[in-house]
Amino acid sequence: MKEDIAVWQVRHFVYAHIQDTTRPPSVDETAAHFGLSTNEATELYKELHNRHALFLDVDEVAIRMANPFSGIPTDFRVHANGKTYFANCAWDMLGIPAALHCDAVIDAVFTESNEPIQLEVKDDKVTNGNLLVHFPLAFSRWYDDLVFT
Amino acid sequence: MLLFQSEEWIDKWCKRNHLERGEFLTISQVWELSKLWYGNRMSLEYHGRSMDQVAEVFKQAGLTAKFWYV
Repeated sequence: MKEDIAVWQVRHFVYAHIQDTTRPPSVDETAAHFGLSTNEATELYKELHNRHALFLDVDEVAIRMANPFSGIPTDFRVHANGKTYFANCAWDMLGIPAALHCDAVIDAVFTESNEPIQLEVKDDKVTNGNLLVHFPLAFSRWYDDLVFT
Repeated sequence: MLLFQSEEWIDKWCKRNHLERGEFLTISQVWELSKLWYGNRMSLEYHGRSMDQVAEVFKQAGLTAKFWYV
């Protein structure tokens, strides 16, 4: 098992980097920050993936998800603290202001109808509170296929 | 997790994709869940969550149906 301290320091760096830049750091950026080789940083990314602390793309060592943040564009754009973040899903679009402890304006798209909708989180309340978020899988199956989940 | 206007739209989506309906929560419920789930995510002290801790979050959010069993 990789050194726990290094693993969680890398996780924290990834999240801080996303908060600052809206995108996850590449392996090389993380390696440079910690003075590691690319291979060492890659192993730490894989360890975090194995611990479900972030989710890597299958074909390349790039961060696809560091929940609630998405590493790729999605239908859930969260405007907060003067930046625009992408969320992985309808839950995570609220997870971003929850993680950052801030207000947010959210541009989302309804599934099936493809209509746009804007929501706002302000002063610990969310607008359009009666809209619905569908969880297709029970919790016990969430990590079977995280992209589908 | 996907966003819908109503249960009718959820059913339409499930039918078109040949999927059974899961569970749905209102946006207000998801906001409360998000604060419990993600509130400490940016902290260096966050080291993931045990199954017991997951169960406690769901309990605090009022999610007690079998769907949320860990």
